[in-house]
Amino acid sequence: MTMEAAKSDAARDWPTLLKDNARRGGQGQYPARSPEGAVWQFRTGSSVRSAPILDHGILYVTSVNGALHAIDGVTGSSKWKFQAAGQVHSTPSISEDRILFGCDDGKVYAVNRHSGAKLWEITTGAEVWASPVARNGLVFFGSADLRIYAAEAGSGRTRWTQELGGKIYSTIYAAERQLYVGCGDGKVYGLDASSGKVLWSTPTGNGIDSSPALAGDLALIGSEDFWFYAMNTSTGEVRWKYETGLGIASSPAVSGDMTVFGSKDGFLYALETQTGRLRWKTVVGEVVTAPPVIGDGVVCIQAGGTFALESATGKVVWRAGLGGTSQSVPVLSGDTIYLASLSGEVYALR
Amino acid sequence: MDRRNFVKASCIGSASLLMGLDPISRAEVVPREAPAIELQGIPNYKPSPLGMPGSFPGRVIEVREPNAIASNRVSQPIVRRMLEQAMKELTGETSSREAWGKFIDPKDMVGIKINPSGAPACCSSPEIVREIINSVQALGVPPRNIVVYDRYSYEIDIASYQTLLPPGVRILGIQEAFARGGGYEPSVYCDANFFGEWETRSYMASVVAHEVTKIINVPTMKDHSASGVTGCLKNLAYGTFNNVARSHRAPYSFTNPLIGLMCTVEPLRSKSVLHIMDGMRQVWHGGPLTQVQQFIDQPGILLMATDPVALDTIELEAIEKKRSERGAPSLWHHDPNSITGDSNAFYHDASKNLFFRQPGHIAEAAKLGLGVADVKQIDHRLLSV
Repeated sequence: MTMEAAKSDAARDWPTLLKDNARRGGQGQYPARSPEGAVWQFRTGSSVRSAPILDHGILYVTSVNGALHAIDGVTGSSKWKFQAAGQVHSTPSISEDRILFGCDDGKVYAVNRHSGAKLWEITTGAEVWASPVARNGLVFFGSADLRIYAAEAGSGRTRWTQELGGKIYSTIYAAERQLYVGCGDGKVYGLDASSGKVLWSTPTGNGIDSSPALAGDLALIGSEDFWFYAMNTSTGEVRWKYETGLGIASSPAVSGDMTVFGSKDGFLYALETQTGRLRWKTVVGEVVTAPPVIGDGVVCIQAGGTFALESATGKVVWRAGLGGTSQSVPVLSGDTIYLASLSGEVYALR
Repeated sequence: MDRRNFVKASCIGSASLLMGLDPISRAEVVPREAPAIELQGIPNYKPSPLGMPGSFPGRVIEVREPNAIASNRVSQPIVRRMLEQAMKELTGETSSREAWGKFIDPKDMVGIKINPSGAPACCSSPEIVREIINSVQALGVPPRNIVVYDRYSYEIDIASYQTLLPPGVRILGIQEAFARGGGYEPSVYCDANFFGEWETRSYMASVVAHEVTKIINVPTMKDHSASGVTGCLKNLAYGTFNNVARSHRAPYSFTNPLIGLMCTVEPLRSKSVLHIMDGMRQVWHGGPLTQVQQFIDQPGILLMATDPVALDTIELEAIEKKRSERGAPSLWHHDPNSITGDSNAFYHDASKNLFFRQPGHIAEAAKLGLGVADVKQIDHRLLSV
C-alpha cells in the first residue's frame, strides 16, 4: 500500500479500479491456495467482461446483457438483479451503500447494495466502460463522450465535467487532490480533483485502455504503444518506461516495490516500481488484457484460464481451466476464489 | 435466378477429401458432395452496379512498403500514403477524394467490416481502419453514420478498437448486441444441412441487411485451417452470417462452396463496394486464430480491389509462395497423415492441419460471377511508395 492510498478513508473511499493498488477489491492479503474444485456455479446468462467484487459476503457481478447481479458468496444463490438498458462492460465499485457501474446506454448507475433499487443515474453522451471511483464524497469517471465527470456520491448531482482529447475507457485513480487517467488520444492526464482543470498531460504513442496505479510520486500505466510508463504525479514527466512485445491494456497492480502488469504479447511482467528494472516475466497465455491481482506471495491473472504465480519469481504455482477470459479478475477471499468467465459463469472455488 | 435460390453445389475435390480413409466410417460421416444450399435474400432487392465484382473486375492494386510495419508497430503516416496511392491507381483518379467518391456518397451509412479474429497477433490494423474512416469522413459522412463491425465483440475488445478508433464511430459486435443494429435478420439466410446439425440456417446480420448502405471490407492476409485462406470472401461471408462453424467438422470442410454462395446473397453482394486487404502482417500457417509469431511475417503490404475473387486469388498465390519458401505443404495438399486433432500440434507445426483445406472456394466464387479467379486475366499492379 502506498502512502497515497493509505491516506484514503478505506471504509468510505474506492479511489481506483478494484479499490486498491493491488487490485484486491478491498479484500485482505490472502495467499490464494490451489483450489480443489468448484463449490458453486452461477449462470449470469451472458458474457462477463468485467471483474466481480465482494463485500460483506455478497458478490457483485456485471454481465454484458446489462445486468448487475448480487450473488450470495456462500451459496451462490441470487440475492437480487438490477437490469440496465444497455450492455455493461464496467467493473462495479462501492461507495458506502451504493454499487456503482457504467453502461453502454451512456449512464452511470448507483444501486442500493442491499435491495438492488436504483438510487440515481448520471447520463453522459456515450458508453461508460470505465469503473466509477469514489473519494471524499465524490464519484469520478470517464466516458467515451471524451469527458471526465465528477458527481456527488449521495445524489448523483454533477459537480463538474472536463473534456479531454479522446474517448475514455481507463478508470481514474483519485488521489486526495488530483486525478490520473489514460485517454484514447494517447495521453495520460493529471487533473485537479476539485475543478477538473487539466494540470498536465503526457503523450504516449497510441491510445490508452489501461488504468493507472499510484506509488508514491509515480503514476504507473500501460499504453497501446507497447510501452509501460512511470510518470511523475506532479508534472507528468516520464521517469522510466519499459517496452513489451504488443499493446498494454492491462492495468498494473502494485505491492511494495513491485509493479505487475500483462501485455497482449502473452507475458506477465514484474518490474521494480522505482526503477522499472525487470524482476521477472512469465508467459501465461496468448494474450493478457486483464489486471493481475496481488495476494500473499502470489500474483493471480486470468488469461484464457486462471494462473497463480509466485510473486518473488514469477513461477506458475497452479493453473485452472476455469475463468476462460482475458477480461476479468479473480477475487481472492480467504479460502475461496471467485471467478467470472467469458461465457457468463461465475464460480466459487475452494 | 429466383430470389429463393436452390443451389445444388458439388464439392470440388471431394475425391481427395476421402483419400486414405476407412470406407465405412467415411460413408457414415462424410457426404461426397455439398448438400443443397438454399439462399434467401431480401425480396426484390435491386442489385447495385457497385456490388461485387464492382467497378473494376479483375484489377488488383498491391502497394508494398516494408517500413509500414516495424516490430509489429504499423505506421499510420505510411499507411495513409499507401492507401491514397492505391485508391488513385485503382480508380484512375488523380485525387484521393475523387477516388473515394466513386464508392461512397456523403449520405451513405458506411459499414467497415474488420477481421479481429486473430487479435492481437494479426487483425485489421486500427491504423488502417482509422485512415479509412478519415477518408470517408473527408467526403462528408458524419462519424455517427460509420459503423465498424464484426461478429464477436470480445475479439473486438481484445484489439482495443473502442479506444483506438475516432469518437462517434459506432463499434458493433453483432453476435452479442441487443441494441441498435445488433442481431440477425430471420428472413435472410442460407439453409443447408452439412453434418446433421440441428440448426441448419445461417442468418444475415441485421446491420448488413437493413442499416448500412455501403460496406468497405478490411480482411487480413491469413491462411485458414478450413478454407485455405481467409480473405475478402470469407471475411464477408462468415462475418455476416451466423452459425457458420458448422460448415466444417474436422477434418472435412464445406467452406467451398458456402463462402461464395453467401457472398451472392443480397444485399451483401450489392453493398460490398471496396475491399482493402491488410497485409501488414501475413499469417502463412495457423490461421485464423494463431498467436505464434514464428508463422507471421510482416511484409507491409496493402491490397485493394472491387473484385474480391481477384484479390483473394493474389492472396492465395502469396501465401502458397510463402509456404513453399518455408518448406510447408501446399494449401491444396490433402494428405490424411497431415491431419491432427491436436490444436497445439497444428499451431506449432506447419506440416499439420485440422481440416482438408478448401482454397477452391475462390475459384468457385468466380463461377458465381463474383469476380475473376484466373491469374492470367487478373490485372495485378504492383506499386511502392
